[in-house]
Amino acid sequence: MVENKNLLKKYNLPEKVQFCARCTISNQRPRITLDEEGVCSACRYAEYKYTRVDWAKREEELRQLLKRYKRSDGGYEVIVPVSGGKDSAFVAHDLKVKYGMNVLTVTWSPHLYTDIGFKNFQNLIQVGGLDNILGTPNGIIHRKLTKLAFDILGDPFQPFIYGQTNFPLQMAVKYNVPLIMYGENGEVEYGGDMKNAFKPCRDYRTDHAKHYFSGLAPEDLTAYGVNRADLLPYLAPPVRELENNHTEIHFYGYYKKWVPQENYYYAVEHTGFTANPIRSEGTYSKYASLDDKIDGYHYYLAYIKFGLGRATSDSAHEIRDRHLTRAEGVNLVAKYDGEFPARNFKIFLEYCGITEDYFWQVIDSWRSPHLWKKVGQEWKLRHTVAGTGAED
Amino acid sequence: MRSQCGRVAIIDYGMGNLFSVKQACLHIGVQAEITADKDDIPCAAAIILPGVGAFGQAMHNLDELGFIQPILDYIRGGRPFMGICLGMQLLFTESEEFGTYPGLGVISGKVCRFPAVDLKTQAAVKVPQVGWNQIRRQPLGRGDCWNGSALERVTDGEYMYFVHSFFCRPDDAGVVLSVSEYGGIDYCSSLKSGNVFASQFHPEKSAEIGLEIYRTFFEGANLRS
Amino acid sequence: MPKHIRVIARMDIKGPNLVKGIHLEGLRVLGKPEQFARHYYETGADELIYVDVVASLYNRNSLADIIIRTAKDIFIPLTVGGGIRTLKDIRDVLRAGADKVALNTAAVKNPDIIKEAAVKFGSSTIVISIEAIKHPDGGYFVYTDNGREYTGKPVMDWAKTVCALGAGEILLVSVDREGTGLGYDIELTRQVSEAVSIPVIACGGAGNPAHVAQVITQGQADAVSLASVLHYDYLKQRPAQDLNPEHFSAEGNIEYLQSGRSNSRIQGAGVGRVKEYLLSRGIACRYYNKPEVVNA
Repeated sequence: MVENKNLLKKYNLPEKVQFCARCTISNQRPRITLDEEGVCSACRYAEYKYTRVDWAKREEELRQLLKRYKRSDGGYEVIVPVSGGKDSAFVAHDLKVKYGMNVLTVTWSPHLYTDIGFKNFQNLIQVGGLDNILGTPNGIIHRKLTKLAFDILGDPFQPFIYGQTNFPLQMAVKYNVPLIMYGENGEVEYGGDMKNAFKPCRDYRTDHAKHYFSGLAPEDLTAYGVNRADLLPYLAPPVRELENNHTEIHFYGYYKKWVPQENYYYAVEHTGFTANPIRSEGTYSKYASLDDKIDGYHYYLAYIKFGLGRATSDSAHEIRDRHLTRAEGVNLVAKYDGEFPARNFKIFLEYCGITEDYFWQVIDSWRSPHLWKKVGQEWKLRHTVAGTGAED
Repeated sequence: MRSQCGRVAIIDYGMGNLFSVKQACLHIGVQAEITADKDDIPCAAAIILPGVGAFGQAMHNLDELGFIQPILDYIRGGRPFMGICLGMQLLFTESEEFGTYPGLGVISGKVCRFPAVDLKTQAAVKVPQVGWNQIRRQPLGRGDCWNGSALERVTDGEYMYFVHSFFCRPDDAGVVLSVSEYGGIDYCSSLKSGNVFASQFHPEKSAEIGLEIYRTFFEGANLRS
Repeated sequence: MPKHIRVIARMDIKGPNLVKGIHLEGLRVLGKPEQFARHYYETGADELIYVDVVASLYNRNSLADIIIRTAKDIFIPLTVGGGIRTLKDIRDVLRAGADKVALNTAAVKNPDIIKEAAVKFGSSTIVISIEAIKHPDGGYFVYTDNGREYTGKPVMDWAKTVCALGAGEILLVSVDREGTGLGYDIELTRQVSEAVSIPVIACGGAGNPAHVAQVITQGQADAVSLASVLHYDYLKQRPAQDLNPEHFSAEGNIEYLQSGRSNSRIQGAGVGRVKEYLLSRGIACRYYNKPEVVNA
């Protein structure tokens, strides 16, 4: 029997579920806050982004920043962590072509590339014309970590996030490139800790584990019997090395208005990006998060743990971008949220080396009683944004 | 007096889209009403018989609604009548659509289906004909047969919008105003017989030149100046 | 005499706005549909198609107002699709002023509606929209909901079925090419056009007039549907005040309109330019006796 987790305590979640008055997110997203008008911090940030930011001035700030990192020795001037997706493709290509930077793109491999993800990744290099370093960890260790993360964190995606966050730092030190440019600041754009909302960068010294690693840094995994040497690719370089390199992590979303849909157009036109012909399971969209065969389980677990599935996150930020009305978003959530990612289920079970029965035991262990109620044989959310929950 | 009197009556017998016909009339300043009531026929200023669909069903519906005799009386009285598409075909003696059906018999002749193979090129023919096709002035040495007809202001070779699987074959070539070609057949695409004007094409869907046909028709009927 | 090809302007609608995506995804707001429709009518488009591209997604169809406003002073055929589920929906759309309806999701879910609608409204009123996606093995399959949902039906089988059930035309959408400007899917169009006896409208992928000619001569298309090529051309020439985002409701992505960028994949061309090109290639089509002023 898998032990039930205490979600309320683990993520410091409010016991009473409340949905944002503007978008489809609820107060169950860790670290998000709803104000006295019932509007979430991400919507407030979007309001600020669309109405108050002087984007011409921000672009000038970007130019000043980039000027500081121009170099005459022919070395790389900025590292852009890329997946091959539309957003990072935009950042890397825009920096290279519009701002004339010598860009090194760094990719941390997905668990299992999808065909479309690999094609888009290759096109970024071949069509977009960018240098790339691909980091791929030992598959046996990665599978072990994935199962571990699924068990103890309820997120099989965590090993990917370790590398996605730390591997570019390793490359920055290795290649002596101080500037790392990410796309959007997820904490700010999608709701979370807003203390970085008005800053272009984040500090790798603080909040690293909290924001990115669900409170469990890769080095902590030794407690679960993982050999420290096997964790090497997942680890951040020592702080001293990062400091000696004068490393700075910046977000493009601070400098340029972050509109994923326009990134899509940019990537299609300039880096050979194609959307998936079919929608991703659990949501309506065809162009976001396409690279990894198992990322559906990351979103599915978010649905189990917080009642917030993939259609919720997609629709919430499209509402904030004013691409959808709230009514449309609610409709989409009702239609797609929580749809089980069946397409790659067998692959996922084999990857983690677990049985289907065990999979569901783990899933159910993450169902918090304040969110879920068993009605007959079926688990139902107590509250949904459409007001169709067991207790709505 | 009936409210319809003195207006153009667009006959509604459950066959196809009448709204665009009405819209075209209104657009050129002609009062027109859609009616399914046979008693509106005698006092109408002009009759438009539109229609899309099956010939047999259409005759059945006209009969059921009691339209056949009033329409025949109206036409025989020499009053302005316009048939469009199926409304043109219904004027004929009979149609070979899914068996043989008798029509209104105003125009002597038959309604036939386009062949599946082009009679000239042997290429496969898409049926129905959907789209724009040219209308050519009937050249049978009748001089300028479009003068005084609804086509008076149309240029020879103009494009009109057609949707049909069957075409009309009048016995009397003298009624033919224009011919068009499809499936290797030069067929009658509009006709005039007394005060009857009928077209296989849809003037109300043939852009500005189509509206011009409506204008000319109604000017001829003194309904528009 | 060769067949006359129809050049059809397709307008995707979301809420009150004309939108355009790539692969039917990422819908950008381009403007007001009535304004574009008017322009295409005046410059010689042979037909117009309105598709509420999110109707199935939201179980709604919200085109009635736009149809009424359009049908008032536009006298070429208007086909309307998106969210039409029942015979009553068809009647409502026709009453609002549409000449034909395009069915997709409803027809896949219940093929009998094709037969019923053809009997009730006439075959020529019923257009079946087929959203095709090419699978890695080269086969084409039918999707619905803007290419979101897989139906398992091979395109050729479905095309023959709808033809036998009495459909009047097929609007054949290549989701793979849609919005890309890479050209129509010639192979798809040819296969379907040869398989059925009703007209096939090629849709999806046009990036320039040469693509249009290609799908007619090699793809055997009976009609061509264009969107990006026409829209991005019109965007370049319409008056600047029309671009004021204030004129658009808050619904939809207006970043593009505000940015004033162009779409590098699309070589914009007006209806007149497209037709001139087709005529120059010996392809018959209705030419307009008031040709538009062609920009150099």
